Amino acid sequence: MNRVRIVLLVLVAVIGAAWPSPGWAQTRAAPVDDIDLDLVPMQPDFSLVTLPTTLRLPRYKSAFRVTHRFGRPLAEGSFGSLAEDLFGLDSGAQIGLEYRFGLMRGLQVGLHRTSDRTIEFFGERDIWQERDGHPVSIAAVAMIDGTNNFKDSYTPALGAVVSRTLAPLGTVYIEPIWVNNSNPLPSELSDDNDSVLLGIGTRLRVRPTVYVVAEIIPRITGHNPGANQAAFAIEKRAGGHSFQLNFSNAFGTTIGQIARGGTSNDDWYMGFNISRKFY
Amino acid sequence: MQRKMLAGALVLALSAVSSACDEKLSDVTGPTPNLQPTLSSIQRDIFSSTDASGRLACTQCHSDAGGRTPSGGLNLREGVAFAGLVGIASRGKPGAVRVIAGDPDNSYLIHKLETRSDIVGVRMPRGNGPFLTPGQMLVLRRWIALGARND
Repeated sequence: MNRVRIVLLVLVAVIGAAWPSPGWAQTRAAPVDDIDLDLVPMQPDFSLVTLPTTLRLPRYKSAFRVTHRFGRPLAEGSFGSLAEDLFGLDSGAQIGLEYRFGLMRGLQVGLHRTSDRTIEFFGERDIWQERDGHPVSIAAVAMIDGTNNFKDSYTPALGAVVSRTLAPLGTVYIEPIWVNNSNPLPSELSDDNDSVLLGIGTRLRVRPTVYVVAEIIPRITGHNPGANQAAFAIEKRAGGHSFQLNFSNAFGTTIGQIARGGTSNDDWYMGFNISRKFY
Repeated sequence: MQRKMLAGALVLALSAVSSACDEKLSDVTGPTPNLQPTLSSIQRDIFSSTDASGRLACTQCHSDAGGRTPSGGLNLREGVAFAGLVGIASRGKPGAVRVIAGDPDNSYLIHKLETRSDIVGVRMPRGNGPFLTPGQMLVLRRWIALGARND
């Protein structure tokens, strides 16, 4: 456990200290003048369905998200039986609660806890923003999750989030992420203990406050069990809230769960995300 | 200069992460905490020893000690077990091979220990258990998957 704490500190130090954001020094204005407070219509939220975006969280502000995945596969049983079960509502669910905080300009940290007792800590450091004249926005991300309330099976990850706005259509994302210890078995019993994910996603703005979201997260090398996690969703923004109805082939919302893949390409589950920005 | 420091810090972080987060094999192998996926370790902790769960040593029946005839013609005594297992046809089930190097799923030894439906006779160890734990089976499977070496 102590070693993991050391690792966590090292990760935060690397992400937080090594990449001073361009223009950081001259933009340490009071939060009320912070450009990060402005709504970004092409990128209104901090996540797609599970993948992070490059949206910056204003300094000292925060956001909350609930993730919810119903446990019944949509293809199980007849449509009538599924409707009686309200499309999975009565069959249990995996629920996640997430809170993130803008620690400093361009640096957000947070935690995500799912109902299978997994806790994930994460941090995201902004490197480039398109609004500064760069061709893409880039952020570095670091996460670590642990099962059994962060007591067992730690899965750390480092990666990058690259986004490109295609106004007025939406935004596309490429997210290479290295995940360590994605295999829950000891390394003596496995060929691979790491996975490299390549998250690909998009959020398309189909109406002024309505979006279609899709993502797929193939494991391009390393430990690769089950099915590659994929999801699509429709999303409605209402002020600081986002309501997202999603369909995915897995319950994973933390990086370790995502790296271990979906149950099957044939099993799809309904779910939703609700997020709220506190600014 | 800053880039070099960043690269160094990243290498340090990755090394620390990789070494810190792997699960311990002893957490999986239950009553045989020192069990490793090598024949010498399997011989010591599985074939030749009764473990803390009460599972009987295989050599209680599968041995020629004291001039006995090994049960099923399989001698798992130390020093001769490899020659009786790897690539050797089962005497109980025609066409089955006791251990197929690199192929645990089709190795008859695994079928007998996991009580697959195709086995002839009873699940091993004989009796009503205790049987090998899932973690011990993973180690045995891993030894076969790695080539069932005489290591």
